[in-house]
This record gives sequence, structure tokens and C-alpha cells, in this order.
Amino acid sequence: MRDEHIINLIEHTPLANLSEADLNRIRVHTGACSECHSAFQAAQVSRLLLKERAAVEFEPSPFFHTRVLAMLRERQARNETWALGRMWRSAGALASSMAAAVVLLAVFTFVVPENQVASQQVSSLVNSYSAEEVILDQTSPLEEVSDGQMLTTIYDGDEEPSK
Amino acid sequence: MNLARAAREGDESAFEEIMRRYSPRVFRFAGKFFRQRSLVEEAAQEVFLKAFTELGSYEGRGSMEGWLTRITTNICLNLLRSSKRRPELTLSDLTEDETHWLDNNLTEAAAEQHQSTERGLVAADLAGRVLQTLSADDQLILTLIDGEDASVKDVVQLTGWSESKVKIQAFRARRKMRKGVEKLLTGRKSPR
Repeated sequence: MRDEHIINLIEHTPLANLSEADLNRIRVHTGACSECHSAFQAAQVSRLLLKERAAVEFEPSPFFHTRVLAMLRERQARNETWALGRMWRSAGALASSMAAAVVLLAVFTFVVPENQVASQQVSSLVNSYSAEEVILDQTSPLEEVSDGQMLTTIYDGDEEPSK
Repeated sequence: MNLARAAREGDESAFEEIMRRYSPRVFRFAGKFFRQRSLVEEAAQEVFLKAFTELGSYEGRGSMEGWLTRITTNICLNLLRSSKRRPELTLSDLTEDETHWLDNNLTEAAAEQHQSTERGLVAADLAGRVLQTLSADDQLILTLIDGEDASVKDVVQLTGWSESKVKIQAFRARRKMRKGVEKLLTGRKSPR
């Protein structure tokens, strides 16, 4: 029974494209079926509404072209500013990396060598048993050795080979 | 093609000429989808701004008009998608003129009658309100196929959708619109 209804027919095809045979079938069926009659009526009203909607036409306003051109120029100017900003940002990054490199070079040139000299001095201070230190350093505890002890040490060294 | 090339190379007057030639067509086409003039203007503006930035992709194989119509279709579809959708249209939402229009167009004979300009505008307004209850895709397809008598192939070209999608979308949209209108007509007596 449902297959005989014409609802599917009017939904599958725009009403304007229905053949005469289809329209006859619809007329016959809607005469007897109230459900399909109201569906067909609604489809006709829908079609009419859409046709009236399509008939409305708009024309461009007199200043439309001028406005669009102005918007284009504005957009282009904004893009250029943006590009400049981007360039400036990338240049800034480059400049800061160069500054960092200069600072690093300065550190390696001036600070590190001073540290090396200082560490050499420290190491020579720590190594207090070198021959130079012993001979030249007048402030060493050797000063406290008495003359007698010194002579004993020297003569003992001379006598040893004769033993 | 020469105009497009010149505009692409930055010749502003060439682009102005393109606008002068094709803006009436763009306005007429965009006007099928929107009731308010401001929205039509907005759509047309977007069309030409996009056209300018995408002039590089226009290779001159098809017509400039066809290329602009495809851009217009996409812009209008996007605008329809972003605009608010009405949940449902009931009889109480209609103006007196719209109710009167429905009363006079219930019969098949009346539906075929020529409409006066004023009544045509009432109908166009009502159509817009009914369409607003549908999805953007439904609105587009009904406007093009049932309103503009475009073929399925035309819509495929304009939207880039598959043929089966266009057919199914049209079927469903037609059903939704028909049911919406039927709801408005329910309870009203035919004047015949």
C-alpha cells in the first residue's frame, strides 16, 4: 500500500522535472489519498517559495568596488607590516645569538687565562719541596737550624766515603 | 586571461575591471542564499578578496565566471554554516502577510499563478525563514536544484561533492522542507 503513495516520487525529483505521466499518476493518487494530497500540496508550496526566493536579485552598490579595493590595500599593508615584524624578530634573534657569541669569546679570552695563571701560582705554592724553593726561600724553617747543626751535617757528609 | 594575469602581477586596475565585469553575477548568485543585503555584500566582498589571493590558482582553463561562481558557492556555504539555525518555524512565527500568502497558495491552481512583486517578496522572505530551519548543505542544495533549476552535475561542479551525495542530500532536504511547510499548512483550510 505504501509503495503506491507518491511521496517518494515528489521527494526524489524536483516537481519541475516530473514527466506528464508522473503528474497524472500523482493527480489520480492524491484524489483518493489525503496523506499524499497534503504532501503534494506542501511540495508545491515549497517549490513556489524556492522559486520566489530565487527571483530576488541583488545588485552591487555603487561603492562596492572602491570598498573592496580599499580592503585589499589594507590587507596588503597589514601583510607587509607583518612581514617586516617577522624579519625584525628573526633579525633580533640573530643579533642576540651574535651578542651571546661575543660574550662567550670575551669570557674565553680574558677570564679563563687569568684563572689559568692563578691556578699555576696555586700549584707552585702547593709544591713547596722544589729545589729552588728550598735554596732561595729565606723564610723557610731551615733558618731555624743552628750553625752547629749545619756544620755537623756538612762534615758528616764528607766523612762518610772514608768509612 | 590577460586581465587575470595582469591582476596577478599586481595591476590594481585589472582587478578592478574583473570586479566591474563579474560583481553583478556574484551578487545575483550570493543573493540566492541570503535574505539580508548586508550578508550578500559580505559574501561578495569575501569572494573578491579570496579571488585576489587565489588568482595564482586560476589557470584560465575554465571561464573566469565559472571560477568565481565556485568561489561564491564555497563562501556562501561557509557563511550559511556559521549563521544561526532556527530550531523550527511554527505558524505563530509567521507575519500576517506570510500567513495570508500561504492561505492563497494552498491549491495547485493558485500555486501556478503569477505573483505580484510585493507578494513575491513576502514569499521570498518566508522561503528564507523556512530554509533557515535546515542545515547549510540542505539550504544550498534546495536553492540550487529546486530554486535555480541547476542539474546534479552543475552542483557537483560547484561544490566538489560526489554525485551520490548531491542526490541523497537533495532528497533529504526536499523531504525536510516539505515536512516543514506541511506543518505550517496543517490545520488551515484550503480556499477552494
